[in-house]
Amino acid sequence: MLTTLLIVLPLASALVVWLAPLSKESTAGLALLAALAEVGLWAGGVINFDFEGGVQYGWTRSWFEDLGISYDVGFYGFSLWLAGLAIVVGAVAIGYGVWVERERARAYYGLMLFLIGSVVGVFASQDLLLFYVFFEAMLIPLYVLVGVWGGPRRVRATLTFVLYTMAGSLLMLASVVAFGIGQGTFSLLDAGQSTNDWVFLGFVVAFAVKSPLLPFHGWLREAYTQAPPEVAAVLSGVVSKTAVFGLIWVVLPHFPEPVDDLRTLLLVLAAATLVYGSLLAFRQPDVRGIVAYSSMGQMGLIMLGVFAVTDVGLDGAVLQSVNHGLVSAAMFLLAGMVERRCGTGDCSALGGMAKGRPILATVVMATGLIVLAVPGSATFAGEFAILSGVFDRGWGYAAVGAGAIVLAAMYGLRLISAILHDARGAAVSGDEPDLRAGELALVLPLLAVLLVLSFWPAAVSGTSFSSGDTATTITGSPG
Amino acid sequence: MLGPGVPWYLAVAAILFATGALGVMLRRSPLIVLLSLELMLNGSNLALVGFSRLFGEADGQVFALAVMAVAAAEVCVGLGLIVAMARRRLPLDVDRFAELRG
Amino acid sequence: MTAGAWACLLSPLVGAGAITAAGTRITRRQAGWIATLSVFVAFAGALVTLITLLGKEAEDRQHLSVAYTWLEAGGFRADASILVDPLSVVMMLVVSGVGGLIVWYSMGYMAGADEERRYFAYMALFVFSMLLLVEAGNLLLLLVGWGLVGLASYLLIGFDHHRPAAIAAAKKAFIVNAFGDAVMALGFFLLISRLGTLDFAPVFEAAGNGALSDTVVTLAALGLLGGAAAKSAQIPLHTWLPDAMEGPTPVSALIHAATMVTAGVYLICRTHPVFEAAPEVQHLAAILGAATLLVAGLVALVQQDIKRVIAYSTMSQIGYMFLGAGVGAYGFAIFHLVTHAFFKALLFLAAGIVIHHLAGEQDIRRMGGLRRFLPRTHLAFGVGTLALIGIPPLAGFWSKDAIVASALATGGTLGILLYVAGIAGAVLTGAYALRLYWIVFQGEPSPLVLEHAAGHGDGHAHGAEDAAGHEAHAHAEGPTSMLLPVGALTVLAAVGGLILIPGLWKPLETWLETAVHPLVEASVAEEWVTSGGAVLAGAVGIWVAWRAVSAGRELVPWPHLRTVLEHKLYFDELYDRLLSRPAQLLAARLRDDVEQPLVQGSLDEIGRGALEAGGGVARAQSGLLRSYAFVVTASVIVLAVVFLVVR
Repeated sequence: MLTTLLIVLPLASALVVWLAPLSKESTAGLALLAALAEVGLWAGGVINFDFEGGVQYGWTRSWFEDLGISYDVGFYGFSLWLAGLAIVVGAVAIGYGVWVERERARAYYGLMLFLIGSVVGVFASQDLLLFYVFFEAMLIPLYVLVGVWGGPRRVRATLTFVLYTMAGSLLMLASVVAFGIGQGTFSLLDAGQSTNDWVFLGFVVAFAVKSPLLPFHGWLREAYTQAPPEVAAVLSGVVSKTAVFGLIWVVLPHFPEPVDDLRTLLLVLAAATLVYGSLLAFRQPDVRGIVAYSSMGQMGLIMLGVFAVTDVGLDGAVLQSVNHGLVSAAMFLLAGMVERRCGTGDCSALGGMAKGRPILATVVMATGLIVLAVPGSATFAGEFAILSGVFDRGWGYAAVGAGAIVLAAMYGLRLISAILHDARGAAVSGDEPDLRAGELALVLPLLAVLLVLSFWPAAVSGTSFSSGDTATTITGSPG
Repeated sequence: MLGPGVPWYLAVAAILFATGALGVMLRRSPLIVLLSLELMLNGSNLALVGFSRLFGEADGQVFALAVMAVAAAEVCVGLGLIVAMARRRLPLDVDRFAELRG
Repeated sequence: MTAGAWACLLSPLVGAGAITAAGTRITRRQAGWIATLSVFVAFAGALVTLITLLGKEAEDRQHLSVAYTWLEAGGFRADASILVDPLSVVMMLVVSGVGGLIVWYSMGYMAGADEERRYFAYMALFVFSMLLLVEAGNLLLLLVGWGLVGLASYLLIGFDHHRPAAIAAAKKAFIVNAFGDAVMALGFFLLISRLGTLDFAPVFEAAGNGALSDTVVTLAALGLLGGAAAKSAQIPLHTWLPDAMEGPTPVSALIHAATMVTAGVYLICRTHPVFEAAPEVQHLAAILGAATLLVAGLVALVQQDIKRVIAYSTMSQIGYMFLGAGVGAYGFAIFHLVTHAFFKALLFLAAGIVIHHLAGEQDIRRMGGLRRFLPRTHLAFGVGTLALIGIPPLAGFWSKDAIVASALATGGTLGILLYVAGIAGAVLTGAYALRLYWIVFQGEPSPLVLEHAAGHGDGHAHGAEDAAGHEAHAHAEGPTSMLLPVGALTVLAAVGGLILIPGLWKPLETWLETAVHPLVEASVAEEWVTSGGAVLAGAVGIWVAWRAVSAGRELVPWPHLRTVLEHKLYFDELYDRLLSRPAQLLAARLRDDVEQPLVQGSLDEIGRGALEAGGGVARAQSGLLRSYAFVVTASVIVLAVVFLVVR
C-alpha cells in the first residue's frame, strides 16, 4: 500500500498542480510541499522496512488476467534505496525550480512531479509490463522539460534524446512481449529464466542507451548540457539508475545464461565506457560537459559491478548508484548556480571564484572531491567494492578501473580548479555573490547525505540485498 | 424456387462491384466517380440479398435496406458538393484536388 | 582502554568540523586556537594511550577496537576500527606532538594571510587523516587515511589558490599520489580475492604461513611498495615533492617533512610480514631507498631555493628510512623517522622564520649573514643542520648510523652496496646541509638582508604577509607562538636521539620489538665501524662544502653535471613526454576524431536519414484520390488471393 502511495502521491499532485488555477508562487509552494511529503513518506517506509525480509510493501491487482499481467508493486532493499535517491533528488530539483522561478509554473511543476512519480514507479515495479509502462512514462516529462525549458540548442538535444531512447525502448518492448508471452506471465517474481540471446540483447541495448554505455551515448552531451540544470540533475542522477535497476532486477535473474555467455563483451563495454568517459571529461571545454562525461564514466563503473555478478560487485554497484546520483545531481545544480552568476559555463572564462566566496568554495570543493572519489568518501567505498568485485572476473578490469581512478583525479581537479582557482576568469567580474542561503539549502542536503554515507557506506551496501540472498541466489547465475 | 441459382446473383454482384471500382479508379469526373460508387454499393447490396436468400435469413435484406439509406444520404452530400463546385466554377476533375499531397 | 586513542583520532576532526561550520562567526585567531588545541588534545590522548600501554605486559600491548562496520559488500567486511600497539602509539605521539607544535607555529606565521580559517581547518583535517592512517585497524581504513592525507596535502599545497604555480603543484602531488593509491588498491583487490578480508591479522598470518602463493604475496607487496614510494617521494615517484614546496612553510614542515611523507616507512613496518614473505620486494624497497638518498643528495647540492634544498634533503633522509625498513631494521627506520621529524620540522620552521623575515624571499643567493639579525633562529638552524648531518650526540647521529650499521650487518653484496650508499649519502648530507647553513647565515649580509633589517628596525611595514601588523611582529624573529615551537623542536633535535643508543640503551627498540621484530641486529663492532665512518663522511662533506662556499664557488664545479642536477635528472621532462602528453593527446584525439565526427556527427546522419526516409514516404502521398482507391483495391485483392491460396 505504501508503495502505491509513493507512486500515486506525486502523480496526483502533478494533476492538481497542473489543473488548479493557482498563482505561480502557490503552485511552486504546492509542488514543493508534495515533494517534501513524498520524502517524509519514504523515510517512514525506510524505518519500518525489514531489510532481511525480501520484497515488501507489496500490492497486487490483476490487470490483464489472460496474459498474466498485473499491477504489482513493492520494494526490495536496493530498490528502496534507489527510490529514495529519486525522491530526494527530485525534491531538490523542484526546490531549484522554485529558487530560479521557472516560467509556466503549472506545466513545469506538474511535469516534474509526474517525472518523480513515474521513476518511483519504475523502481517499484514487480511486473514487467508495468515496468515498461513507467519506463516510457518517465520519458514524456523529460522530453517536454528539456524541449521547453532547456538551453539554446534544446530542440536538437530533445530530438536526439527522443531518437536514441525510442530506439532502445522499441527493442525493449519487443523483448518484453517475447519474454512475457514465452513465460506465460509478466510477473518479475514468478517468471522463470530464458536462454534467448536476442531477447536478452533487446533489454541490454535499452538499458545501455539509458545509462548510457559506450556506443549508445550520442544523446548524452547535448541532453546534459542543454537541459535545465535541475532536469540534468534528475536525468543523470536518477533516470540513468533505472537502467541499473532494470539490469539487476529484470535481466540478471531471468537471463543467467546469456549474461554468462556474453559477460566478456559486457564487461569490456563497461570498462571502455569508464575509460572513454573519463578521458573525454578531461578534455571538455565547459563545466557541464565535464560533469556529463564523468557521469558516463561512472555509469561504466557501475555497470562493471553489475555485469561482474558477484556479491561484492553488486553491493558496490548499488552503493555507487546512490552515491553517483546524489553527487552528480549536486554537481549539476552547482554548475547551474555558477552559470547563473557568470552567464557561461566555459572553463576558460571561469576561475578564481574561491576568493571571497568561502561557502561556494567549500561546497564546490567538497562535491568535486566526492566526484573524484577521494578515499574515505562514499564514492570511494563504492568504487572499491565494485573493483574488488570485478577483480574475480579478471584482474584486467580492476586494473583498468584503478587507472580510471587516476583519470578521475585528473578531471575532478580540473573541474574544481576551473571554477575556483587561478586568476579570475574573463566571465567573472568579481561581484558575483557567494552561495545564498536558499541555494545552500538545496545542495547541503545532498552533501549531508553523502557525508553520512562516507562515514557509513555499509548503511546502503550492507542492506541492498537480504543476507540470505546472494548474487547467485538472486540471479540464479551459474558461478 | 425459380430462376438462376444464388451463384449467378453473386457473379452479377461481383461484376457490378468491379465495374464500379474501375469507374472510381479510372474516371476523373466527380459525377461519374459518384455514380460508380453507387454501382459498387449496389453490387454489394445484391450480394447481401443473394446470401440472405442462400441462408434463408432476413438479415442480409435488412442490411441491404440500411445500405440503401446510407447510399441515398451519401448521394445527397456528394451531389451537393458537386453542385457547389460547379457554382464556384471549379474544374470538375478529381485529380486537380490534390491538396493532401505529402 | 582505547578511549585515549579514539579521542586522539577524533579530536582534530572535531576541530576541523567546528572551524568549517563556524565559518566567519569566529575570528581568525580563534580558528587558530581551535586547531592548535584540538591537536594538543590529540597529543594528550596519545600520551594517555602510551601510559596505559606501559602499564601492560609486553605481550598484552596490542588492542583492536572496533566501532562499527564501515563497508560491507557481499562477503567482504571492513570495520571502522583502530589498532593500538607500540608502533601506532609512537606514530601517534610524533604526529600529534610535532603536529601540535607546527599548528601552533602557524598561528604566528599565517597571521594576516587571507582565509586563515580555511588554513587551520585543513591543518586539523590533515592531522586527523594522518592519525587515521597510523591508527587504522585494517588495510582498507589505512588506505582511507592514506588517501585523505594526500587530499589534505593537495588542499594545503594549493592554499594560495590564486597562484597558478601552487595549484599546478597541488594537482601534481594529488595525481602522483592517486597513482600510488591505485597501485595499492590493486594489491588489496588481490588480497580480497584470495583471502576475503583486509584485516591485519589474517593477512599477515596468510603471508607468514604460506597460505598465499609466492606470486600473490609478491604482487601484494609490490602494490604496497608502489603506494609507499608515491607517498614517500621515492624514486621513481618522487617528482611531486619539490614542487609541493609551493605550499606555506609550516605545511612543508608538517606534511612534507615530519609526517605524511614518512608514511611509506610506517606502511612497510606495519605490513612487514607481507614484505618478509616477498624478500625481493623488500630488497627492492631498500634499493629504491639507497638510490633516492643518493640522487636527492646530489640534486640538493645545486638547488638555490631554501625550501627545495630541505625538500631534497627530506627525500634523501626518507631514502635512509626505506633502506632501514628494506633490510628489516624496522625499529631503526622508525627511530630515524622520529628524529627526522624533529630536526627536519625544526629546519623548515627555522627556514620559515627566515622567509617570514625576508617577506617571502626563498632564493638563498639573495641571503647571507642572517646570523647577526636572527640569532635565535641561527642557533636553531645550526642545531638542526648538525643533527641532519649526524654529528654526535645530536638526534640524527644515533638513528642514521643505526640504519647504515644494519645494512652492513645484512651482509652479502647487497648489504655492502647499501652500506656504501649510506656512507656516500652521509658525505652528500654534510655537503648540502652545510652549504645551506653557510650561505644563509654566515658571511656578509646581503643587500636584501640589510634592507629588511632596517625595515624591522623602523617598526616594519612591508609585504602582504605583514599586513595585519599586530603583536606578531613585535620581534624580528616573529611572535612567541613561532619561537616557542622552534625552541621545543631545537631541544628535541638535540636530545631526541637519546631514546635509543644502539647496543647500549634501547627503550624504543624494546618497545617496538613486540610489534615489529627486526630481521637484522648489528653487532657492537659493526656499530662502531659505521659510526666512525659516517661521522668521518659527514665531516668530509662539511669540509668540502666549507672550502667551496667560503671561497664563493659552487659545490659542483662541472657545468654539465650541474645542469643535469638542476634539471633534477630530467625526471619531470621524461614523465611529461611519456605519460602526461600522450594521455592528453589521446583524450584530445578521442574528442576530435571519435566523439565529434562519429558519435555527435552520427546524430546529424540519423536526422538526415530520417528526413530522407520521410521524404520517400511523402512522395507516395500523391493526393490523387484515384490512386489511393487503386492502392486500397489492389491491396484487398492481394490479401484475398493470399488467403485463398494459403488458407
